[in-house]
Amino acid sequence: MPDEMVGLRSEESLLTQMHHFFYIVYIMPARDYLGEFEHIVLLTVLRLDDQAYGVTVRREIEARTRREVSIGAIYATLDRLEAKGYVQSRVGGPTAERGGRSKRFFRVTAQGVSAIKHTHRALRSLTEGLALLKTRS
Amino acid sequence: MTPELPHPHPPRLAAWLVALFTSAAQAESILGDLHEEFFDIVSKAGIASARRWYWRQSAETIAHLASAGFRVAPWSLAGVVLLGFLLRRFDFQLPERIIVAILRAQRPYSNLHYGFYVWQVTYGIPIVGVIQTVLIGCIVAAFAKGREIVATTTLSIVSPFAFLLHFLLVGGQWSNSIFIFPWRFLIIQVENLVGLVIGGVLVREFRSVVARRFSRTSP
Repeated sequence: MPDEMVGLRSEESLLTQMHHFFYIVYIMPARDYLGEFEHIVLLTVLRLDDQAYGVTVRREIEARTRREVSIGAIYATLDRLEAKGYVQSRVGGPTAERGGRSKRFFRVTAQGVSAIKHTHRALRSLTEGLALLKTRS
Repeated sequence: MTPELPHPHPPRLAAWLVALFTSAAQAESILGDLHEEFFDIVSKAGIASARRWYWRQSAETIAHLASAGFRVAPWSLAGVVLLGFLLRRFDFQLPERIIVAILRAQRPYSNLHYGFYVWQVTYGIPIVGVIQTVLIGCIVAAFAKGREIVATTTLSIVSPFAFLLHFLLVGGQWSNSIFIFPWRFLIIQVENLVGLVIGGVLVREFRSVVARRFSRTSP
């Protein structure tokens, strides 16, 4: 049995033993579902690996979703994701093609990967058995 | 011989406006990204479409960053705006008091410099009013670190309505004058708008200069 499942079982058993409101609230998982755009940005950063910065993230999103996004929307979302601990950023060296300004590279943290998995599980559960969404073979 | 084409550069005003709405660290990466994409578009589609793209991106970026400023810490922003409103409220008659004090001090010379005396009566109060709102804008921006322009712009938009509501509900010696002299109320609100935002810009620019100097001197 995976470690996280063992943890979950032991918490469940504790929950049945301890009917204390504050304890129940304490062990409740924090809200780690992602918003639609947060989900898109996080997957894009994951896909770009160590080349994820404003320009590449924006271009990748536009190429894959055919949706025009602004640099400001990308940074506002990345800052929010960084505050939640889902991404980390580091500043690269300045380059001439950027007018002597440096790039800010992003990478997804383990917590971010866990949030993606959590959201995917929820989406899969919601779409399961929906005839409308079945693809034709 | 063909004349040498001028070296293209992104619209400076748009870049300056983006920098105003971002923190110094954020401005570095955002403006760098805009710069990089601008030159990519120049090489593919020409300078005119690159400039259009830059302006559109800048406007959307400012809108996103301003709304993010509200979402990240709405209560601290509301507190700073309230502080600015209270400062405006308590010092509402300060320009008049200053000008009246100056005129009283100059009374013995009023016949000698009558033109200057009239000029002070006509323009003195609005000028002192602008200086006062610039100072309040500076104080508000100093408290709203990283969101100077968002805070001062919000205050300048909110305060005319808040003033009007306050005078309608609470009254006071100025409440009737709003309706008797609506132009006076309008002038004060324009002063308010311009002065507060100028105060925010001054503090933001000062912080940018300090941040640039610090980044140059740090190893």
